[in-house]
Amino acid sequence: MDNHVKVARVSKNLTQQQLAEKTGVTRQTISLIEKGKYNPSLKLCLEICYAVNKTLDEVFWVEKGSDSFEENKG
Amino acid sequence: MKKIRDERLQWKNLKNIRVVYIVQTLGILAILGYDLTTKGLDGMTNNPVWIVFMVSVIVNAYLSMTISVDHEERQRSPVKSLYISLTVISVLAAIIGLFVSFSDGQTVWNGLLIGGIIFVSFLVPVLYIFKLRKDNLEEEISN
Repeated sequence: MDNHVKVARVSKNLTQQQLAEKTGVTRQTISLIEKGKYNPSLKLCLEICYAVNKTLDEVFWVEKGSDSFEENKG
Repeated sequence: MKKIRDERLQWKNLKNIRVVYIVQTLGILAILGYDLTTKGLDGMTNNPVWIVFMVSVIVNAYLSMTISVDHEERQRSPVKSLYISLTVISVLAAIIGLFVSFSDGQTVWNGLLIGGIIFVSFLVPVLYIFKLRKDNLEEEISN
């Protein structure tokens, strides 16, 4: 699912590895989240938001019916 | 070995275990199938792998009950369902017990024993399902 993790991470000058260490996951997981290929749990979403100092809305909100929402519904 | 904390890798690990479980089960079935064809039914049940298979089937059945109860579309009355189940298993145990009693070479005692074993065997899962439904209902009421 589409998200703004990459934008939020870059705005905080964090590398994927640094964000991964802050959130307790591997760099590959952060990479897959940024590409929209892995749907993180709410717990991990919150960890990412805490790490980049943004709200869930700012990082993960997508409008219902948008392409990025529809492609992950199944 | 370091503990895996990454949720994606934990999930992937569970998926891998599922594949291993399928391979293992197919292997067990192949061994039991081979025993069945070469040594007959007794030969198959004498193999310790048979016990492993039966224990895993029973564990799987009990674990599936928690899913089935959650998946029930409408919440049934736990007490009503318990009474229905108890009636059904009592009748079933009585019928089988009677059949055994009147079979050639069998005594009434054998019939009672077999009927009793069947009753207890079904009673345990019925009581377990009753507990799950009761807990579900209590949780629903408290919310």
